Amino acid sequence: MPGFRRILNLFSRSRLGQEIDDELQSHIEMRIADNLAAGMTPEEARRDALLRFGNPALMKERVRTVDAAVALETVWRDLHYALRRLLRSPGFTLTAVLSLALGIGANTVVFSVVNALVLRPLPVEHPERLVFVETSTGITQSFPNYRDLRDRNTTLAGLAGYRIVPMEVEASGGATRIWGLLATGNYFDLLGVRPALGRFFRPEEDLHPGASPYAVLSYSAWRSRFGGDPGIVGKTIRINRLPYTVLGVAAPDFHGTELWYRPDVWVPMMMEPQIEAHPDAGWLNNRNTWDTWVIGRLKLSASRAQALANLNTIAAELAREHPKENEGLRLRLATPGIAGDYLGGPTRAFAMGVLGLAALVLLAACANLASLLTARSADRQREIAIRLSIGAGRARVVRQVLTETLVLSLAGGTAGCALALALTRAISRWRAPLGFPVQFDVSLDWRVFSFAFVVSLLAGALFGFTPAWRAAKTEAGAVLKGAPATWGRSRLAFRDVLVVLQVALCFVLIACCLVSLRGLQEAVGMRLGFEPQGVSLVSFDLGLAGYPEAKSRAFQQRVLAAVKNLPGVASAAYSNSVPLSIDQSTTVVSPDFSAPSQHSDTTSANYYEISPGYLEVMGTRLLAGRDFTWHDDDNAPQVAIVNASFAQQVMRSRNPVGKRFHNGRNGPLVEVVGMVENGKYESLTESPRPALFWCILQQFNSTTTVEVRSSLPATQMVNEVRRTVAQFDPRLPMYGTGSLNQMLGFAFLPTHAAAVALSAFGLLAIMLAVTGVYGLVSYSVARRVREIGIRIAVGARPAQVLRLVLGRVVVLLAIGSGLGLVLALAAGQVLASVVYQSSPRDPGILAAALGAMALFGLLSSCPPAYRALRIDPLAALRCE
Amino acid sequence: MARNDLQGSLDLLVLKTLSQTGELHGYGVVLHIQKASDEVLQVEEGSLYPALHRMEQSGWIRSEWKLTETGRKAKYYRLTAAGRKQLLEAEESFEQLVKGVRAVLRYA
Repeated sequence: MPGFRRILNLFSRSRLGQEIDDELQSHIEMRIADNLAAGMTPEEARRDALLRFGNPALMKERVRTVDAAVALETVWRDLHYALRRLLRSPGFTLTAVLSLALGIGANTVVFSVVNALVLRPLPVEHPERLVFVETSTGITQSFPNYRDLRDRNTTLAGLAGYRIVPMEVEASGGATRIWGLLATGNYFDLLGVRPALGRFFRPEEDLHPGASPYAVLSYSAWRSRFGGDPGIVGKTIRINRLPYTVLGVAAPDFHGTELWYRPDVWVPMMMEPQIEAHPDAGWLNNRNTWDTWVIGRLKLSASRAQALANLNTIAAELAREHPKENEGLRLRLATPGIAGDYLGGPTRAFAMGVLGLAALVLLAACANLASLLTARSADRQREIAIRLSIGAGRARVVRQVLTETLVLSLAGGTAGCALALALTRAISRWRAPLGFPVQFDVSLDWRVFSFAFVVSLLAGALFGFTPAWRAAKTEAGAVLKGAPATWGRSRLAFRDVLVVLQVALCFVLIACCLVSLRGLQEAVGMRLGFEPQGVSLVSFDLGLAGYPEAKSRAFQQRVLAAVKNLPGVASAAYSNSVPLSIDQSTTVVSPDFSAPSQHSDTTSANYYEISPGYLEVMGTRLLAGRDFTWHDDDNAPQVAIVNASFAQQVMRSRNPVGKRFHNGRNGPLVEVVGMVENGKYESLTESPRPALFWCILQQFNSTTTVEVRSSLPATQMVNEVRRTVAQFDPRLPMYGTGSLNQMLGFAFLPTHAAAVALSAFGLLAIMLAVTGVYGLVSYSVARRVREIGIRIAVGARPAQVLRLVLGRVVVLLAIGSGLGLVLALAAGQVLASVVYQSSPRDPGILAAALGAMALFGLLSSCPPAYRALRIDPLAALRCE
Repeated sequence: MARNDLQGSLDLLVLKTLSQTGELHGYGVVLHIQKASDEVLQVEEGSLYPALHRMEQSGWIRSEWKLTETGRKAKYYRLTAAGRKQLLEAEESFEQLVKGVRAVLRYA
C-alpha cells in the first residue's frame, strides 16, 4: 500500500535516500556513456554530465523534500478528516474509546502482573541457569541434606540455602521486628550480585554455628531504618540483642530470589540458633527439620535433566544412609521466584489464564466495534462509491477508513494505559495487613508499554479490518444505481455467533459477581468459632528478645496480670497465635490404640498454645468439659482441649472428655478435658477440620499474642496494652497490634479481592453485551431501511416493525443466556474454592442474572428500534 | 486558469513526453525534450527529478525499476489514467497561456 510505504519512508530516510541516489546516479552515468560514445575523453564526459545535471546533492535534497511533504500532507489530511468524523458522533466515539480503554487497560494490568511473575528475570547473573531444588512432597530441605547435596553433586556450579525469618533489630527508632533471610555463605556469590556499599559475606564466614555475627542490609532498610548512613559499613547493630557487624548494603533492586518477599537484612546461615531463638530452633544438624530453601546454579556444561538425575542419585544415597528421615526422598527442579513449583506453578498458570480471559474480553470489544463501525459505514457506502467513481484510488479510501480506526484504537490505548498506571500503582503500593513484607512489584516497564501499544494497534487492525475491506470492495456502479446495501446474507453470520458468546460471557460474569457478593455478605455474618467484635491483639516475641524460657514464662504472666487490671478490660488471655492469622501450625495426632475398636490412622490438626481464659476472651463456646486452669502446669498430667471435628475424626466420639490420644505418631498419651465448637483456622472456605488447644503452661511458646476483650475502642485499648508491656521491657518490639477484626482482613482478602475483580469484569461484560446488542440492532435497522420503509408504507403496525427488527436479537439473547447459565453452573464450582459459601445453584441469583440480561438487552436495543419506528417511508424510498 | 507558470510547463512537457513514448526513464525524458524541441528547450537535467517525484505522489505517473537496453538499472515512468486527464487539462491551460501571451505581444 503506497500510503503505508510513504509513512515508512519517513522513518527510513536512509533507504529512501539510497533509492534517489541510485536514480540520479543512473542518469549521470547514462549521460557519460553517451558523451563517451560521442568521442569525448572520460574526463570531459564526466565534467559535461555534471554540468548539465546541476548540483546532485541539492537535487537529491529537493526530491526528498517533495516526497516527505506529500506524505505528511496526506497523513495529516486523513487524520483531520477522521477526527472530524469522530467528533461529529460523540456518542459512538465515547463508547468506542471507553470500551477499548477498559479492554486494553484490563489487558495491560494483567500483563504487568504476568510480566512481574513470569517474564521479568530476577536481577541476578544469568537467572536462566538458576534452579530451585524442591522435593516431591514439599518446598524445603533439611539442612544436613542440603549440605550433602551441595558437597556431592557434580552438575551444579553452586548450591545455596536460605530461610525466611523474623528478627528483632535495634536501629535509630528503637527496636523493631523485621523480616530477613538466613543465607549460606555462598548465597551472594552464587547469585552473582553486587553490593551498593561494602561487601557481602563469603563462604569462609559461614563455617561454624554462632561464629559469624555479620549482617547485610537491604537498600531500603539502610535508607529507612539507618537513615542512609554512608559510614554504616563496619558499624555494629544489634539483632535479637546480640551485636552483628554490618558488612554491606545490597543494591536497590535486589530483594533475594522470592518475588513476593522483601527481606530487610541477610545474616549467615550459621547464626540460625541465635536468630530463630525458639524452642524448635537449632536445626543445622537435624535431618528431621525441613526448614531450608535451596537454590542452585547449573554448571555451563550441565543441562537441567543431567542436574536432576545427579541430584536424585544423591537423594537415593541419602535415603539409604538415613532411612528414618529420608525414606522415599525424590527431588525436583523448579523455576525460582515463587516458592518453587508448589506455589509458583499454579500462580503462573493462573496469571496466564487471566491473561487469556482478558484477551477474550478485548477480542469481544474489538468485534463489537467492528460491527458498530460497519453499521456506521452503511451510510458511508454511498459517499465512498462517489469518491471511487470520481477517481479516488481504492488504497486511498481504505487508508482513510483505517486512519479513523487507528485514531480510535490509539485514543483507547492511551486511556487504557492511564487506567492501568493508576491500578498498578495501587497494587504495588498495597501491603497485605500481615506484618510481613509481602509485596509484588508490578510497576509498568518498557515491556508493558510496548505490549499496550502493540495491543492497541492489533485491536485497531482487528476492528478496522471489516469496514476497510468493505470500503475496498465497494462496487461503485451498483451502489450508485441504488442497489440496496446488503451484506452478509448467510444464515449463521459470524456476528450472530459473537453476540451469543458475549451474552453468555456477560451472563457468567454477572452471575459470578452476584454469587461472590452474596458470599461476602454471608461471610461477614458467619460463625468463625469465635467472636471477633471487641477483641484487641498485641504480639511480641520473647525468644527473639533473648529471654530464656523461665524468664519468658514469668514475663507473660506478669503482663497478663497487669493487663487484666487495666480499666475497661472485661477479660484477657494470651496464646502463641490466633485462628485465621498468618501464623498457623499443624501437628500429627493419632488415636489411643489401646482403647478397643480404634483405627490406627494419623490425622493432621491445627494447634494453639493458650493460657487459661483464652476461650472466654475469644468467645469460643465450650461444648463439654472444662477450660484450662493455672494448675494445668508442668507438674500436672498433659491435657488438651479439642474441637468437635477433632472429637469426631480422631477420637470417633461425641464426647471425648476423659478419653486420650497420642500426640505425634507414637508420642505420649494426652487426656482431653474439654471440647469446643468448630471454627475456621486457615481460611474461610475450608471445610471443618480438627483443631486442638494445648495449655501454654505445659507447651511453652515464647511467641506471645495478648488478647483483650473490652468495650473501649480498639486503638485506645491497644495503646494501653502496649504501654503496660513497655513498663516491663521498654526495648521489646511489638507487632500485629490492632483489633481482631482488622487482622481478619487477611482471611477475608480472597473473598474481597474476588468480589472486586468480578465486579470490575462484570461491569466490563455488561458494557460489552450492551454495545454488542446495540451494534447488532443498529446494523439490522441500517441494512433494512428500505424494506422497513416499504412495510410502513403498506401499513405495517409498529409491533410488526419491532418484530422484524428485534426477532433475531431476542432469539440470540435467549441462546446466549442459556449457554451462560450452563457455564455459570460450571464456573460456580471454581468460585466455591475462593468465595465462602458461594452457591451457583442459588435460583435467586440465576433469576437475577437472567433479569439483568433481559433488562440490558432491552435497553441497548431501544435506541435503534426507536429509529426503525421513526423511518419515514417516503424518505427511505427516495434516498435508497 | 490553473498553474500557468514554469513548473506547470515542465509538468506539461514531461506528461506529453510520457504520453508519446509510453515508458521512459528521467534521462530519456530529457533527451526526448531536447530532440523534439530541436535543442531549443534546455532544462537543467537534475531539476527534472523533483518534478517527476511530485507528479508520482500526485498519482499522475507511476514508476518501476527496470534494465535499459544497455543493461543499466534505471527507474522508468509511465502515465496513469489520472495523468492522462491531467495532461488534457495542462494542454488546455497552456493553450490559454500562449493565446494570452500572444495577444499581449501583438498588442504591443
